[in-house]
Amino acid sequence: MASSYWESTQKKFWTFTKPQLALERKRLEDSERNLVNMYPVPDRRHLSIYFYHQLSKMARPLGVRQQALATAQVYVRRFYVKVEIRRTNPALVLATALYLACKMEECPQHIRMILAEARHCWDTAFNDISKIGECEFTLISEMNSQLIIHHPYRSLAELQSQFQLTQEENSLAWSIINDHYLTELPLLHAPHVIAITAMFLAVVLKPTQGGLQVHAAGVASALQALGNARGGAGQGTQNRVQKLVDWLAESTVDIEAVVECTQELISLYEIWDSYAEKTCKDQIAKFVKARGLDK
Amino acid sequence: MFTGYNTKKRVNERYKIIGFISSGTYGRVYKAESRNANPPSMKLFAIKKFKPDKEGELQYSGISQSAIREMALCTELAHPNVVHTVEIILEEKCIFIVFEYAEHDLLQIIHHHNTGGQGGRQAIPAKTIKSILWQLLQGLVYLHRNWVMHRDLKPANIMVTSSGKVKIGDLGLARLFYKPLQTLFSGDKVVVTIWYRAPELLLGSRHYTPAVDLWAVGCIFAELLSLRPIFKGEEAKMDGKKTVPFQRNQMQKIVEIMGMPSKERWPLLAAMPEYAQLSSLAAGNARFHRPQGLENWYQGCLKNNQYPPGSGPDTPGPEGFDLLQQLLEYDPQKRLTAEKALLHPYFTSHGKPGENCFEESKIKYPIRRVSQEDNDIRTGSLPGTKRSGLPDDSLIGRPAKRLKEG
Repeated sequence: MASSYWESTQKKFWTFTKPQLALERKRLEDSERNLVNMYPVPDRRHLSIYFYHQLSKMARPLGVRQQALATAQVYVRRFYVKVEIRRTNPALVLATALYLACKMEECPQHIRMILAEARHCWDTAFNDISKIGECEFTLISEMNSQLIIHHPYRSLAELQSQFQLTQEENSLAWSIINDHYLTELPLLHAPHVIAITAMFLAVVLKPTQGGLQVHAAGVASALQALGNARGGAGQGTQNRVQKLVDWLAESTVDIEAVVECTQELISLYEIWDSYAEKTCKDQIAKFVKARGLDK
Repeated sequence: MFTGYNTKKRVNERYKIIGFISSGTYGRVYKAESRNANPPSMKLFAIKKFKPDKEGELQYSGISQSAIREMALCTELAHPNVVHTVEIILEEKCIFIVFEYAEHDLLQIIHHHNTGGQGGRQAIPAKTIKSILWQLLQGLVYLHRNWVMHRDLKPANIMVTSSGKVKIGDLGLARLFYKPLQTLFSGDKVVVTIWYRAPELLLGSRHYTPAVDLWAVGCIFAELLSLRPIFKGEEAKMDGKKTVPFQRNQMQKIVEIMGMPSKERWPLLAAMPEYAQLSSLAAGNARFHRPQGLENWYQGCLKNNQYPPGSGPDTPGPEGFDLLQQLLEYDPQKRLTAEKALLHPYFTSHGKPGENCFEESKIKYPIRRVSQEDNDIRTGSLPGTKRSGLPDDSLIGRPAKRLKEG
């Protein structure tokens, strides 16, 4: 699997086109029309940022590695393609996804530790490991036991040696990959496309300017460079970027896909500024409390 | 879900249990028939029911890591020489993996030749062995290419269908080996049933490789030829302490035939954690200084089992010895890979191996015995199935029970 993403269940069952994904989502919302109308939820990206913060809060004291955290994020995203969020207690889903991801990524955590950390982080009402155990069945069942996740980190490691990325470029690309879990991209594109996008952005953006924080404006200039690759070849840009653009133009990599990924990331960085944790927390608490989902 | 887990499929609605096949630390296996076969040709199944973490557990308490691994790998893998997973059913605290049914397994085939259905001990035809090994290696190449180490290859885990197709089964200990987040050693302290355990594992290697599976293939090859485990050691038990004992007796059995491993042939030998144990092993044991030698073992075995002398289609011949020797290579880095093993002259001289391992064989193997004493897959639990070892991923890989099966 690791070697053959193309044969994987991720490729076969969990990679969608944008219209397909929109359709799945609409079907889900239509089936719960009343709930959807009654309880507004935040923008999906804001929600993802919120989930990520919550997961990291839990993961840090447990010493959970980034890849397991990423796997948990993908599980949560897959799960909410199948199950309407207003029918669930997100805190329980997050804790369970992390518990399951740790086992799958070979860094298991005891279920009691997960429960204790979840209670510590969220002061949640679930106080029994059986809740997590039961939710685990639901999670696995909704994902059809397809638990192996192909992450872009491995592709990045290969690209790093091929293009001799600097330490800074590599860590910027790594953090862009971390960011992509906050978008729909894990459900839309192959991991190597994500890795190429991340590397490209990292090289264009030059990590020296203003630390590792990526900004929308910078990404926009990257898009322009990509436009050159699409046109065949470009000129006028610096050597390093040019080399990448040429390689992209000559490779079999789907440049449209890289452009799409870049745009998705731009809109994430744009919307990030308006993120407010409290809004997410309150809106979730509202349907959870009202429907007694924390019981 | 927050009013309880709602099962989507029910095992009893989909399958009719015909009988009980076997039990182990993992749970129980049943033979079953589809209630509405689709496709109709696929009628028989083996259903593995995982044991809850604690016997009689009435609560959800989290699924063991090995069950999670097996579910994920079974869902992902598809190869003609790996047991096909039909579906996985999660139903009220129970997990069922539904596999295609295989009428035989290598343990049972070896047993049949040992006791002799008619007229005593009888060697397995050379062509059958060649086909079995060929198919086994094909399956293993597939697993290894996909970064999956099996880690528990032994005759009982190699299935054979009635049409002679060999299928690797029981991925309960298998796992991905691409850049593990922790060393492989820290996850499961002991892997592979002891008789098939590679020397680097016996010597405490932390970062072992898929080569452990190839050692096991060598042991299985030898067992198919001689009808007895080649290195039949006794397992040193863990004495309640959290340390893994050195498997002195098993290592002795290997050395008695293979001779002592040397730093010249195995450069990293001295770096093995249990290296010091090796010299103490030799002290006072005469057979260490005059080991039987694999070649003598092989020639004796061929003679005993009346394979014709020389080279030809009806004997494993000198090519077989060369292959065996390269599989039972001490140094894991020098040991043949599954891919290279398939290119060995053993498989190319005297005709290509058959796709059906029973081709041209007149031997009739008995069908798998099933018992009727426990036909209720939902509630069935017989005495003797109580969990005896430690929970998964703690210190013991497989308790002694599995050893006896192997």
